[in-house]
Amino acid sequence: MIAEMREAMQAAVAQALGRAVEISEPVLLAGGASKEAWAVDADGERLLVRRAAVGVIHRHTLSLAHEFEVLEAAYEAGVKVPRPFAYIADLAGREAFVMERLEGETIGRRIVQRPELEAARAVLPLQLAEELAKVHAIPAERVPFLTGAAIERMVEELDEMDEPHPAIELGLWWLREHRPSPRPRVVSHGDYRIGNVVVDEHGLVGLLDWEFAHLDDPARDLSFGLVRAWRFGVDAKRLGGIGEVKPYLERYNELTGFDIRPEELDYWELAGNVAWAIGCQTQAQRHLSGLDRSVELAILGRLGAEVEYEICHLVERAAA
Amino acid sequence: MSERPTAQELAEAIQEFLAGEILPTLTDQRLRFRMLVALNALGIVYRELAALPAEDDAALRALARRIRAGDVPAGTLAVVKAGVEARLRIASPHYLERYG
Repeated sequence: MIAEMREAMQAAVAQALGRAVEISEPVLLAGGASKEAWAVDADGERLLVRRAAVGVIHRHTLSLAHEFEVLEAAYEAGVKVPRPFAYIADLAGREAFVMERLEGETIGRRIVQRPELEAARAVLPLQLAEELAKVHAIPAERVPFLTGAAIERMVEELDEMDEPHPAIELGLWWLREHRPSPRPRVVSHGDYRIGNVVVDEHGLVGLLDWEFAHLDDPARDLSFGLVRAWRFGVDAKRLGGIGEVKPYLERYNELTGFDIRPEELDYWELAGNVAWAIGCQTQAQRHLSGLDRSVELAILGRLGAEVEYEICHLVERAAA
Repeated sequence: MSERPTAQELAEAIQEFLAGEILPTLTDQRLRFRMLVALNALGIVYRELAALPAEDDAALRALARRIRAGDVPAGTLAVVKAGVEARLRIASPHYLERYG
């Protein structure tokens, strides 16, 4: 890596830890489209530096400054999250923050399939319910910059694409026609699913990726992990390919007293699929517009058909 | 043009990836040569696709507009689902096996 970047990283880590440190060679981790993630060690601390990527337009995601604040709020509330160290306004020209680098598995396909994580999968449904109950109890005043998200926002995002997607329209139509009575909004993670959690052989280690945090109906967060795409091939286990929904829902209701009904999960599971079907097209647009050229992003434009098929399946089942 | 990326745009993305990210890492002369030949072949695919007339998506747009307006008569779901299924047979044929 270039010396300037290393120097900037060294200064950022020293600032975050509040002491002069010698850092290891920073390693850029794969898989961050909108944000860079650097693994770096310093003085016995395993750290992860999240840094803004070039040319990213944040319309419905938090800035790194706000994401850091949400992470702090979650940490204070006792939610299992990486320990936040410091927000860095300028790390070689872009904003960043430094947090603890948790040890464990984050790749969804491995979490649902690896034999050595079988015991973890057995306890994950209850652990996921418990952590989400803690997230939803964070006082909204603690994170006053968070805004609400409505179904209508998805329509706006779809219209920006200017492509006909009748299946997505059908899903949106169903959601408009069958809206459950709204619940008071809570602080929501916004992307609560396998793929955004760290798991080891004992179970849940921590929750990652808070950039979609917002205020919402609690049932929405509770249902996002049910979306078939996030079961990573283990379709029979409706909760993220790892377990059953019933104990998860019961534990969550027991802790929050919200008494969310299974029909609400069905509704928001469909909403989650509609959001991800649109998300696939948004990701493909990042490639097509030239913002971020990548076969991985491009192919999502076509694989979105899988999610649209699931939308049809869920509407069909609900109508039966 | 109703399906994005189009086949042409996909060929272009693969071309960029192979030429930009893979080719520079190849040190074996034989592999380098074969990669250049493959890129030439991909270029033929790209140009042939570019010469095809654009697909007419007027019917699909009309259907999407009707559903948006709340005009969803019985049978709409079946039509929509059949359309998605046809796209899946191209994009991800094995996916349909997941619905028993």
